[in-house]
Amino acid sequence: MAQKGARPYDRIGEQVFAKVDKINAELFTLTYGSIVTQLVKDYEDLGEVNTQLEKMGYNIGVRLIEEFLARSNVGRCADFTETAEVVAKVGFKMFLGITANVTDWDAEKKEFSLVLDDNPLTEFVELPESYNKLWYANILCGVIRGALEMVQMKVEATYVKCVLHGHDASEIRVVLKEILTDEIPASMRDE
Amino acid sequence: MGIKVVCASVIGKSNNPLYIRCFDNTEEPLKFHYIVHSALDVVEEKSTAKKGASLDLYLGMLYPTEDYRVYGYTTNSKIKFIIVVQEDGDSHDQAIKNFFRKFHVLYANTVANPFYTPDDLITSRKFNEELEKQVKTV
Repeated sequence: MAQKGARPYDRIGEQVFAKVDKINAELFTLTYGSIVTQLVKDYEDLGEVNTQLEKMGYNIGVRLIEEFLARSNVGRCADFTETAEVVAKVGFKMFLGITANVTDWDAEKKEFSLVLDDNPLTEFVELPESYNKLWYANILCGVIRGALEMVQMKVEATYVKCVLHGHDASEIRVVLKEILTDEIPASMRDE
Repeated sequence: MGIKVVCASVIGKSNNPLYIRCFDNTEEPLKFHYIVHSALDVVEEKSTAKKGASLDLYLGMLYPTEDYRVYGYTTNSKIKFIIVVQEDGDSHDQAIKNFFRKFHVLYANTVANPFYTPDDLITSRKFNEELEKQVKTV
């Protein structure tokens, strides 16, 4: 059952990746790096930097989802497990050129882990000693949250492991909070 | 093969040392610091002499001492790499050039770290480990 959806999504991911425009990886990495260092200088509190990165990611995600749906032609997902596969194999492949692995489902299939072996955002980066609280690529958590909110799923995504902290792979934990019915999404309500 | 890199250093624009690492435990590190420092004069000489002429980043052998030879390599951003090697027999110019090229790439990767400001001391652990690996396989 777990393998069933896996193969087609890999292939879809690669097909879409081949069609989209590419950008120089170093330029991308250096740009993101300077965003993070500037945020660190401005906010000084690393927890706050994490929050800001997540917010930025959210804003990216709500827009990115449209591009994704238009390009990838992926139909409706039957359930959350399929959503996870699509995000990991097609979404990540299309925008970052990497595929993530979906692991560690909980009993009710409402939580999973996305494991990233390598991440273009963190290429060449080494965190100084005192930066243990910083989740460098936290923007990805925001992107996931924003994008899924636009397809009626309210999730929380947080980093649990990061290669920059010494772990061998990065891991984002995604938790489904609720399926949204026809309510106005939070982003358009007040802020 | 007969080459052993005993000291590798990165010197900044104003001849400030950014990184000096000695791989030979039998010698006083201060001796290598002194050798590298004196080599800087020769680097100056070579780079001003070749004005307008060459695009050579590799400066070749700077000067020999009793047991060692000193080689230099400069970049257009005025960063200099100076290494002290212990060689028996003929100079293995090609191998040294290759080493410098890899050293340069390693330096560029370290500078790409957004948390590193150019002209800072290089404290990157990755840089240290990679350099060790390269020194072993010269």
